[in-house]
Amino acid sequence: MSDHVDGPRSIGDPPADVTDLFAFTSPENPARTVLAVCVFPSAGEDAVFSNAIDYSIAVRRVVVAGVGAAAKFQPGDAEIRFSFRFEVLKRDTAGKAVQRGVCTLPGGLKLSLTVNDEQGASTPEGEIRVFAGLRSDPFYLAWDIGKLERLPNLLQHDNALCMVVELDTRRVLDPAKGSLFGAIAETVPIPQPPGHLGYPAPRIDWVGRPEQTNMRFNNPAMPGIVDLRDLWNQQTPFAIPKALQPLFLQRLKDSFAVWDGLDGKTDWTPEALAANANVFLDDFLVFDVAKPITDQSHLEIEKSTLYGRPYQTGGGRTIDANVIDILLTWLVNHDREFLQGGATGATKPGTKVFPYFATPNLELQTVAESIELAAAADEVWSVVGRFSLDWHPLVARTTVTGAGIGQVRRLTTLTGGEVVERLEAVDTAKRSYRYTMMSGVAASRYVGKLEVTPKSSGSVVDWRVEFLASDQPDVLVRGRVSALVKTGLGSLKDRFAPRSGLQATAVAQ
Amino acid sequence: MVELDHPSPCATDGEIAAVNLESARRGAWGRFARDPRLPGAAEAVVDHERLAAQFLGDLDALDRLESLASQFALVDDSFRAALVKAEVASTVHRFDDARGHLTRAARLGGPRETIERHSLTIDQACGVELDAVLAARRRLASASDRLEDLVPLGAVLADLERFDEAGAVYQQALDSYDGISPFPLAWVCFQLGMLWGELVPVPDPDRAALWYQRAIAYLPGYVKARVHLAEIYASQGQTGEAEELLLPARSSPDPEVPWRLADVLRAQGKLDEAETQLDAARRGFDELLGKYLLAFADHAAEFYAGSGNDHPRALQLARANVANRPTRRAVKQAEAIRRNR
Repeated sequence: MSDHVDGPRSIGDPPADVTDLFAFTSPENPARTVLAVCVFPSAGEDAVFSNAIDYSIAVRRVVVAGVGAAAKFQPGDAEIRFSFRFEVLKRDTAGKAVQRGVCTLPGGLKLSLTVNDEQGASTPEGEIRVFAGLRSDPFYLAWDIGKLERLPNLLQHDNALCMVVELDTRRVLDPAKGSLFGAIAETVPIPQPPGHLGYPAPRIDWVGRPEQTNMRFNNPAMPGIVDLRDLWNQQTPFAIPKALQPLFLQRLKDSFAVWDGLDGKTDWTPEALAANANVFLDDFLVFDVAKPITDQSHLEIEKSTLYGRPYQTGGGRTIDANVIDILLTWLVNHDREFLQGGATGATKPGTKVFPYFATPNLELQTVAESIELAAAADEVWSVVGRFSLDWHPLVARTTVTGAGIGQVRRLTTLTGGEVVERLEAVDTAKRSYRYTMMSGVAASRYVGKLEVTPKSSGSVVDWRVEFLASDQPDVLVRGRVSALVKTGLGSLKDRFAPRSGLQATAVAQ
Repeated sequence: MVELDHPSPCATDGEIAAVNLESARRGAWGRFARDPRLPGAAEAVVDHERLAAQFLGDLDALDRLESLASQFALVDDSFRAALVKAEVASTVHRFDDARGHLTRAARLGGPRETIERHSLTIDQACGVELDAVLAARRRLASASDRLEDLVPLGAVLADLERFDEAGAVYQQALDSYDGISPFPLAWVCFQLGMLWGELVPVPDPDRAALWYQRAIAYLPGYVKARVHLAEIYASQGQTGEAEELLLPARSSPDPEVPWRLADVLRAQGKLDEAETQLDAARRGFDELLGKYLLAFADHAAEFYAGSGNDHPRALQLARANVANRPTRRAVKQAEAIRRNR
């Protein structure tokens, strides 16, 4: 998925795993260009950057060195580099963890920033502005790509850690010297003290165009192939060693041939396919700051050059660009017909204002239901206070392990699902208990509280669950939780005479 | 202590790594909940939960793993579910079950290399055909020269009581590491602490302490390293230092924390507090043994043979451990408990 989890070596270090690179014109100001990189696939709400990594975006001027079958983009040697480093966590006055960092700009100026501060940090004259923090993952993939079957967005509700650099195009990139650029992003361990390894630690991950590793090298439709991703990730961007180029080029050719045949039709000639592989071997995100970069312009520069005609757009990659479908269409049917996946956008679209990446998906949901019963509170508590939840009509089987605080109930529902929950607190005087969900519901920070309070000669049962939906749409998770709570309380009507109807509230907070 | 003169590889700060592990763990569960059959989703949960259990003392991870295996089996009847079941069974030391799941995975066309690696891990854990295990471990380690393959090689050498070779291999693992995750580094340091502090015929507690300290420096939340280091401090009369190490680990459900804390408090003359901690340790072991007898039999045997003060139960547990995994260490433990009856 894009470059999400793209090599065995980066899997153990999620903040080192580069997911996506972007280059686009600022929606706020067309005279400014935005470069951005995201890391840490499926980052949770507390995710932070590693303090042991140099996170960089590097840009080089590029020229079109060949067209048609000889298509080639030649990068120059001079590099414009933006590097982020982050510190260990510190506590603010309220005890909350805070992470600070520094972005080193071309020329060596350093901008200090606080992670998740949406204002970011600017140079004194405002020519460069930077941001780093958790955002809604803008990438979307809605295919079983190995089988070309449409699916819902597989990254729905995901977040990623993003670093954004917005710059004055004229002053920083100087397009008068050439407006075509290639960009890469990389994660490299901060150099070690002398003595360890005896050589510089290899880079962990890098990306140019989306999907070099997960779709082009490690084609899911080619089971059993040797995984080249770690080897590729450790190479130096803009300078793949000549000795390794044949290996990578052959894999691209093989992979592209498989992509071409995936729909049962052959749309690529061997010559065109080889030229395409040559272009993709030089892996950097190509963009032209003198031309319009739109949601549709991704790969247009490469395609036009391969067709032997002048390119019309600025290529690049916007936040909302449908890069998977653009790439799949190109590889599978050579742009014969657009392959639209099962989603038309990410969880949240990009925004028009800095830092352009949408806020992370953190909305805490609450389901709260209550019922009034004619039975006395103690009588009701003697049933619903049983942590096993054996009174619940949707629970087919329940086992409780342990005793007291910390005991765990494993609920098998009538539909065959299993939910595991842990008792966190009991207050028998107040007839209440609190629990957390350990597994079985697509949510985090899941806390439930059940309480029975006296009311006149009867009682009220309140059941409240708070959670953060993870990966599934809020509405689906809330529906499931709500059904569990509502059905449970509703069943008490049969067991104890109701004083009045069910009073239910489902609140999104 | 030549090896301690070597510089420590740099790594992500341990607090950041722990926060991000939890973050990634939740993310993995989220992906699994969205579509349990998603390639790699269940396997990622296993990886993260095992890390949480091993390094953060989060023993609730075992319950979650059991839940994962049964949920996954409901929706997947391929070799993947069998492999996940094997991983989970192996994690809680139900090795016979794990072998059965591996056989099923092989029958369903599971990848041979994965199954062979898993079988090797089980053989090593059970002390079965260690010479063959050693040969296989050597092959894997020399092919990759990676920490992930070198540490199990070091461990099998230690099992065979070739301690100096084991130490050299662990050091090689440290030297070869080129990543930035502190988990593997803390793991090697812990292994070296165990090697010099517990496995060699004449333990060197000072040397072991340095390695445990290094493990904790990489990963402050490494509960097992804290417990082992506290044990050394306590044995040297440094009860204040031992207490300081254990207090931050009290939120872990690992009963070794209250057990060692009880020992420290007793040494400090705080008998009532010690008794409270001892009760907590008993409850903790009871709960864990009720669910995962084989996984905790050896530690619980040590507890009941000592502070837990229940020799018959200690012997019973030690024998259960030997029956499950007849390693040299397990046999020695059972013998020692039997002799002290």
